[in-house]
Amino acid sequence: MATRFGDWLNERSGWRAAYTMVFLRKIPKINWAYTLGSATLFAMIIQIVTGILLTLYYVPDPQLAYASVGYITNELPFGWLIRGLHHWGASAMVLLVVLHMVRVIIYGAYKYPREFTWITGVALLLLTFSFGFTGYLLPWDQRAYWATVVGTQIGEVTPVVGDTLRAVMLGGEEISGLTLSRFYGAHVWVLPSVLLLLVGIHIYLVIRNGITSVPKRGE
Amino acid sequence: MVEEKGHPNGIDEQPATDAKPKAGEDLDHRVSRRKLLVTGVGVMSGAIAATVGVPAIFYVAGPAQEQGGEQDWIRLGTASSIETGTQTLMKATVERRAGYLTTTEELSVFVSTENGADFVALSNICTHLGCRVRWVDDQNAFFCPCHNAVFGPDGTVLEGPPPRPLDRFETKVEDGQIFIRRT
Ligand code: HEM
Ligand code: FES
Repeated sequence: MATRFGDWLNERSGWRAAYTMVFLRKIPKINWAYTLGSATLFAMIIQIVTGILLTLYYVPDPQLAYASVGYITNELPFGWLIRGLHHWGASAMVLLVVLHMVRVIIYGAYKYPREFTWITGVALLLLTFSFGFTGYLLPWDQRAYWATVVGTQIGEVTPVVGDTLRAVMLGGEEISGLTLSRFYGAHVWVLPSVLLLLVGIHIYLVIRNGITSVPKRGE
Repeated sequence: MVEEKGHPNGIDEQPATDAKPKAGEDLDHRVSRRKLLVTGVGVMSGAIAATVGVPAIFYVAGPAQEQGGEQDWIRLGTASSIETGTQTLMKATVERRAGYLTTTEELSVFVSTENGADFVALSNICTHLGCRVRWVDDQNAFFCPCHNAVFGPDGTVLEGPPPRPLDRFETKVEDGQIFIRRT
């Protein structure tokens, strides 16, 4: 039954060839360090699912944001779990993405023909940090507020455009409701769109170029 | 770890027979490494999806379980201010909690009494489509401006489309104060 449906669908979509190309492709003999990219991808999926669930209740309004987060954490059934997963998942993402990059560096996997994979990877690293930065403000508590003050002041020391950069980030001279809504917009719309696009390209490249083998002595 | 030979992780559905078959082992019923891994990954993914998915159902359904958080007995005002033979419009603000938001709502109620001791409290919301009815003393009736409904002083429908009489509140008097409660 399942195979018959699979055949029917395959005839009209060729999904088996795609499946083989993605999941049954030949790879060299590798080790656990090569699973770090997939682990990051997995953490990303958790972040997307729990993040979408959080948007059902969270409101990016300076009057209500803090209360809505409190409601999620303390009153909704399993709200603590959904929020906790998203919270700790964010740290896991940063950790995993950095470890993944370290593996690529140690094995020299960034070399020809994988330079572009590396470049998309650098963008993904920065994106991951941006997620953390924009997400941190959203609970709208003291810690969120001051972290954003510090973060945007770091941006301010950028030569020449520093002041403008900070003002654009904050949507004004000070942190306000405008800051909150633009951080929210960035966190749930802008960054995820770019992330998915880049992850798509990154993984396409990994499959298209094949994975590196563990370098041998003298290589 | 099993030593790999020959086909380095190629696409093949054969069982990983690298290990020497032991005496008396049923070769046909050995589970291939691929199958084991695919099943393992499937089971683990399923478990993780359930760990997030099942709580997510409760999480999404959460507010549906909540009570409106409305106060029980609502104080309207002094009972002595209500005259017999007419309807007195009384207002109260009620707090309603929806999640993290508490809103206040004006409640308007027509109160009447025949003997100064037993009170009838009628909602001013038309039971047709929710317009506000008004009391006209001369005609001894409530009128709804939206579709011309007419209700009697006890709330019964006299004319028009409303499907049922005006909603009644339960009433009580305590220390000269009149209280109402939704039934
Ligand atoms: C959201 C973040 C990222 C995701 C989801 C991701 C995902 C992946 C996956 C699944 C692979 C397959 C091989 C493996 O797992 O090791 C891979 C390979 C690769 N990644 Fe990433 N990656 C991310 C970030 C990065 C970063 C920050 C860099 C470096 C700056 C990077 C550079 C590379 C390179 C060069 C390869 C090819 C490695 C090889 O062929 O051996 N990636 N990535
Ligand atoms: S709403 Fe009152 S008659 Fe229709």
